[in-house]
Amino acid sequence: MNFDLTDDQREIQRTARAYLGERYTPEMVRAIAFGGRPDPYWSEIAELGWPDVADLGTVELAVVAEELGYALAPSPLASHWAARLLYPGLQGRGTLAVDGGPAPHADGADVVVLARDEGVFAVADPEIEPLRALDATRPLFAVRANGGVRVEVPPLAWEGVAVAAAAEAVGVAARVTGMAVEYAKERRQFGRPIGSYQAVSHACAQMYLETEGARSLTYWAAWALDHDPEQAPLAAACAKAYASDAAVHVCRSALQVHGGIGFTWEHDLHLFLKRAESSARAFAAPREQRERVAELLLRAT
Amino acid sequence: MEQAILFEEFARARAPQMANVLGLTMGGPTVIAHGTDEQKARFLAPILSAEEMWCQGFSEPDAGSDLAALKTRAVRSGDEYVVTGQKVWTTFAHRSKWCMLLARTNPDAPRHRGLTYFLMDMEQDGVDVRPLVQITGEAEFNELFIEEARIPAANVIGGVDNGWRVAITTLMHERAGLAFALQARVQVALAELADELRGTTDPLIRQRFAQVAIEAQALRLLAYRGLTRGGEPGPEGSLGKWLWADINQALTTLALDVRGADAQVVSDPWTFRFLRARANSIEGGTTEILKNIVAERVLGLPRG
Repeated sequence: MNFDLTDDQREIQRTARAYLGERYTPEMVRAIAFGGRPDPYWSEIAELGWPDVADLGTVELAVVAEELGYALAPSPLASHWAARLLYPGLQGRGTLAVDGGPAPHADGADVVVLARDEGVFAVADPEIEPLRALDATRPLFAVRANGGVRVEVPPLAWEGVAVAAAAEAVGVAARVTGMAVEYAKERRQFGRPIGSYQAVSHACAQMYLETEGARSLTYWAAWALDHDPEQAPLAAACAKAYASDAAVHVCRSALQVHGGIGFTWEHDLHLFLKRAESSARAFAAPREQRERVAELLLRAT
Repeated sequence: MEQAILFEEFARARAPQMANVLGLTMGGPTVIAHGTDEQKARFLAPILSAEEMWCQGFSEPDAGSDLAALKTRAVRSGDEYVVTGQKVWTTFAHRSKWCMLLARTNPDAPRHRGLTYFLMDMEQDGVDVRPLVQITGEAEFNELFIEEARIPAANVIGGVDNGWRVAITTLMHERAGLAFALQARVQVALAELADELRGTTDPLIRQRFAQVAIEAQALRLLAYRGLTRGGEPGPEGSLGKWLWADINQALTTLALDVRGADAQVVSDPWTFRFLRARANSIEGGTTEILKNIVAERVLGLPRG
């Protein structure tokens, strides 16, 4: 039995970490999010094959999604994946809007997949209107469309969407835990690093616990989607609920550890916090995922 | 790994806790890591057969979280050591043949470097075991009064004055190994509560149950990831022990809350479990000490 990534998966992780880190520097992320600069890397990412979920295993997809969160990449890749998982026949770039909610990165999308109570529909070039997004690294659009092509959603597609979102949250949690720990080592008050105080160090330990818990659940769910479909619905709901919460808890607690500087626009922390808070509420919030867990475990027999 | 699977299957079959659990999860691994060939030949087989039960004599009334402050003295006298002192929270002491005893052999050395790890025969006049009644009304733990007990020098594990290192091995196995057995028991308790809650519509109870179930899965997976890495359990084992305590307390609290006013009456095992769980964040390393270990040894934060 092995509960670790394979050598190939580690290689993808290293590649994605280096690739995304070099391109989506903090300056580039801000230029795209606030400076109106278009994301210059979509075609390059397409050449790497990452948008084509059919060619990636779910674990590999989770590995890349974690790195997207770690880099805070303002890339349409994650929303394209969500659309593509629900609509495997999708041509070009897609995005997803659920229950009349906003569609991320709809401005550059060829197809918007609309999930509604009555079914899932694909619409090419719908009318869109930009919204003011809490997370500026993920621009949001209101979508107005009637009809569209009805899409046959493959089994466990929603679980795939949940796992990708969970993995991205793990990346955010891991990056921000690291930021908080580094700051707690450097920042001195009363003549000592603040990380030597238990009120601060225990907060950091809690961040680490939740990040590792989230990572464990996410890779279990990713693995289950590829190898143990019976477990996948439970695992995916557990992963999304816990990982979304973990990213949110870590970002809030890290802001407290950073003190005033973490509250400034200049510091990058608020960008991560907004990603965590925003993503947690997309594709079924933790409360809904927990209800799904309860439904699966408390079903009358 | 095999031990982990065995514990999971025992729990799944709702079997009672395995006999000699301290010998199996802590004593055995410590003797394997630090014992001589003679010690391995003498002690390991009777652990497995449970012919000889083991207990752990680490904590003292004035040395709990600050274990290195312990005062029990061991003085060399010919081929043996003469030991005097007091231990507390000694689980299974009344049924044990061997005690993993940490005692001070060099009072002049810095406090971590003057300790020695002994295997003490419990069946002797110098050892007096008194049960310690706890909040559940049961006496699972004991106080150990040691008055000039004798331990052959051949029963020193890992060398004289090297006891701290050996004790760390025991504690890491306690947190990793025992926590594995305990996480398996959490799964069983969770399944019992699920049977009871089946079909409940109270959204708050459903949310709380789901949260505990999710965290129990995270605990199980963390335990497996620890096994995959292999070798001696490291400070990450502290995560599992910490998370387990949180989960077991939340789970047993939920069970009592579900009972509502009926929880005032002791009518099923959940009252005992709830009370017993209060100790989970204290025994085998308090949650505060485990957070210190994670902060200092895993995250590299400076010591307070």
